[in-house]
Amino acid sequence: MSQYKIIFTGPVGAGKTTAINSISDLPPIKTDASASDMTKFRKASTTVAMDYGVMNLPGGEKLHLYGTPGQERFDFMWDILVTGGIGLVLLLDNTRADPFQDMRFFLDTFDKFIADTTVAVGVTQMDLSGKPTIDDYHIQLHGMGLKPPVFAVDARVKSDVSLLIQALLYSLDPGLEG
Amino acid sequence: MDKNKSPLKVALHGMDGRSYKMMTMYLQGPCKGAAMVVNENNAECDIFDVDVVKGQKSLAEYLEKKSQRPIIVLSLNDHKLENVLTVRKPVKTDDMLSVLSKAKELTYANIKEAVSQVAPSLNRNDNAVQASVTGKAENIAEPVQEEQKLKKFVLNTDEQKKTSKHQAAMQLNEKGFGAFIGSVPGIDVNDHKQFDKAHYNPKEYFQGYVDSAFKVSRAKGQIRQLNSGWNPLIIFPQSDEVWLDVDESQLRAFSGLAINNTLGSKMSITPLSQEASAMERTLERFYSMDAFLWKVACWASKGRYPVNIDINQPVYLRNWPNFTRLLVTPHAMRIAALLIQGPRTLANVAEVLNIKPQYVFVFISAACSLGLAGQVKREADVLVQSPEIKSNKNQGLLSRILSVLRGKKA
Repeated sequence: MSQYKIIFTGPVGAGKTTAINSISDLPPIKTDASASDMTKFRKASTTVAMDYGVMNLPGGEKLHLYGTPGQERFDFMWDILVTGGIGLVLLLDNTRADPFQDMRFFLDTFDKFIADTTVAVGVTQMDLSGKPTIDDYHIQLHGMGLKPPVFAVDARVKSDVSLLIQALLYSLDPGLEG
Repeated sequence: MDKNKSPLKVALHGMDGRSYKMMTMYLQGPCKGAAMVVNENNAECDIFDVDVVKGQKSLAEYLEKKSQRPIIVLSLNDHKLENVLTVRKPVKTDDMLSVLSKAKELTYANIKEAVSQVAPSLNRNDNAVQASVTGKAENIAEPVQEEQKLKKFVLNTDEQKKTSKHQAAMQLNEKGFGAFIGSVPGIDVNDHKQFDKAHYNPKEYFQGYVDSAFKVSRAKGQIRQLNSGWNPLIIFPQSDEVWLDVDESQLRAFSGLAINNTLGSKMSITPLSQEASAMERTLERFYSMDAFLWKVACWASKGRYPVNIDINQPVYLRNWPNFTRLLVTPHAMRIAALLIQGPRTLANVAEVLNIKPQYVFVFISAACSLGLAGQVKREADVLVQSPEIKSNKNQGLLSRILSVLRGKKA
């Protein structure tokens, strides 16, 4: 039986683990550990390998949800993770010092995967920091020649995560009927 | 906790920024409806973290003032201070709710006591007032409690943002669309022979006035009020929010009404005085400006397209709407995904996606209201045909994922 996956990526604390948790049919397998490096200034524990969740599809198929570890020293895993992926969900934390730099970093890192598939961007923590705005993100992305969906997302809210993935799928094929 | 009950207004002391946010989120999450964080001046109760020096100092200063407000202390240790409620850290939700409930009782007891002290003096001084007061503190205290039930608090901007954040998108399906959006008698907007009549002028609806008021308010950077002979719409351009004290059904009806000359003459945009701006307002009636205008445009449209769009010319979509915070009309995401690839005529969009034109019309009305869509002006864009959409090789799988996601709406 075929295995399909969606990859969640983004910087430390952007909500990847929480987003997967929101839509997974199984309790997600987390690989968090106490933060001991710069990460500890943002949160107590962080993902050191990857997060994993699963959505059961009709007919017994499964959609696997993988979250990349946010720390760059684990980026050797990213190529392995994206193989066979159907699209990328990039989550960005709006309270970080330079979310645009984060965005450029992840879009550059995954550029080949995005070119082969597509990307949807979710901006988290907008309740704590309203700037940059969603429009600001679009302006940056237009400058990079990209027009992906960019939504304000609360990773804890299932409908927010669901809409972001729906947009990812419609970007792949607007003719889809759900 | 019943969120309809009036929450206790609390001020937080002695906490650094992160702890303050954490406690605010905690009171909005596990303790939702029991308490809400407000500025110190508006608070009914004060919460101190006394495990930090700043908190201990604040508490000591506060106790010296002999305030009547209940005090809650958060600490790793036991504290036996008179008239102080203590919650041991790590804070457990049951403990916190119990203490908040006690603090609330104390608050009401204080109000009643204050009123009972005032009432006799009123009786002595003014017989006319006596008639309405009737010497019973209960009668006066009740309206105070009643007012609290209305939950008319909080000018704390962080709190407002939190609430607007929870206005998650509502996804309409085809079944509920007609009843929610309404229709125009005498026109079948889905009949291509009637397309030339299936338009509306946003300026003749509430939408046009709201749009103008938003532009003025943003340009001036001032809080403004749109007066309409109906409930006033208050616009807060700095926080990108509006406040309107009406039910959604009333707003829907008003938005779908063509504004005639009589009603139009009552429309005006006025600056709001400092005092009126600072007034406390019902939290549930705050909307983000974009979400409000988008929705009002959907209701004005009733499945028609804006009059400034030429049905025979392509339209473009500048970027994806922020769908998690907007009303998602049927097929809106498919339409956005198609138009973002290149300009198309509205009829072509309906044809390619095999959907009723009304869904395309209502989407384009809403997108135009936010300046996200418009008519193609460049000749080149008209000359070059948009690419045909190719079915994804995994179409079956993607459709199955979609059906699961759409069934999973929270």
